[in-house]
Amino acid sequence: MERTGYIDLAVLQARVKEGLSDLFPERLWVRAEISQWSPRANGHCYLSLSQTKDGITVAEARAMIWRSSYLTLKDFFERETGTELRAGITVLVRVQVSFHEVYGYSLVIDDIDPAFTLGERAAERQRTIERLTAGGYMELQRELALPLLPYRLAVISSGTAAGLQDFRNHLLDNEYGFAFEVVLFEALMQGEGAPASIIDAIDRVQEGQFDAVLLLRGGGSELDLACFDDYSLAVALATCPVPVFTAIGHDKDVHVADLVAHKAVKTPTALADEFLACYIAEDERIGMLGMRIVKSLLRKVGAMEAPFVAAMHRIRMAASARLGLEVSRVALQEARIASTDPRTILDRGYVLVTGEDGKLLKSASRIDVGHNIGVRFGDGRLKATVTEVTTGLIK
Amino acid sequence: MTVTMKDFDYSKAIAELEAIATRVEDPETGLDDIDALVTRSKLLVKQCRDYLRTVRDKVDSLDKD
Repeated sequence: MERTGYIDLAVLQARVKEGLSDLFPERLWVRAEISQWSPRANGHCYLSLSQTKDGITVAEARAMIWRSSYLTLKDFFERETGTELRAGITVLVRVQVSFHEVYGYSLVIDDIDPAFTLGERAAERQRTIERLTAGGYMELQRELALPLLPYRLAVISSGTAAGLQDFRNHLLDNEYGFAFEVVLFEALMQGEGAPASIIDAIDRVQEGQFDAVLLLRGGGSELDLACFDDYSLAVALATCPVPVFTAIGHDKDVHVADLVAHKAVKTPTALADEFLACYIAEDERIGMLGMRIVKSLLRKVGAMEAPFVAAMHRIRMAASARLGLEVSRVALQEARIASTDPRTILDRGYVLVTGEDGKLLKSASRIDVGHNIGVRFGDGRLKATVTEVTTGLIK
Repeated sequence: MTVTMKDFDYSKAIAELEAIATRVEDPETGLDDIDALVTRSKLLVKQCRDYLRTVRDKVDSLDKD
């Protein structure tokens, strides 16, 4: 018997399409994890969105971003979040529910909210910090003591990192001539595989004898630094028995790896300075000790010389006083001689008067009118004839 | 004098320098003793400074600290 109650597949698909279209006439925002990500050469990007619960996938849908919006959307998201758009991240996307009779159900993405991803990450980071705090991991590294002169340094970095060379140059070609041994343990420094790769490097470091472990990112893309917020990596760093220094070098954020480390700095050069500083301090200490000994010696010698120096001082002072006395006596005599010199008096305006016989006249009463007299000044003389004589005290 | 860094114990040398400084500072220490102490301290200072600038051997007393 021929069955009659059926419809064609095309009819079914058309109805589903219509039903979906009625159900979701407008675009809507959906939260999901990107579980697959495959941009194509033609410019479109195909992906899978999914949701998991307790590690089990509870929802999954095919999605795509058309070429017309793919690059704009990707650039915008990566610029805002510092994270590469790829599988493994949770996003909030605007989708149009779509159904194609041949290709089936899919979601067409035309917008993305970077703030949501940032918020998710911040919340995740906070949960990681709380877990680490509860586990007692946050302070472990800070309780470790760095050796007085850290010498053997294990650097975990990408072998091609530009900052690695900066670090080596700054540390090993230091102007003081201090010596260090630097051993590189290569690891992935960004992306999904980074935490496992770094943890492996930390394990390898512990097989050797090192004074410090240095986690050095040293440049490259600033996308995908979320790996430094990874819980397992933080635990591996915190439980490393050797002090761990980080130089992840991202100005915007402090990573969880920085928080659990013995010390975090921003740049490879600052990292090198940390170790140089230990040596500079020690070099100064040695110098101070040497100075202390030499100064003590000088003080001691000085103390022994003190009586001798004091005697010399007294002799010098006495001699100088005696000499001073003689000098002033001579000066006094000179002054006396100078004051009795007639020329000194004549220079002050007085004159000497001589009579016609050339003898000094000391009285007006011995001169008559008409006598010729000589008048002597300090700087010359003249002859004069007396025209009037007045005796008695001059008033 | 050549410093053989292999046998050099930095922490010990620093401790000796400290002890010398204390002795030199002591008023009871005579000048004759001081002369020898100062000579010794100069050698120690040089050895310590060289140590900071020398590539070390694999096993080192500082690592045991």
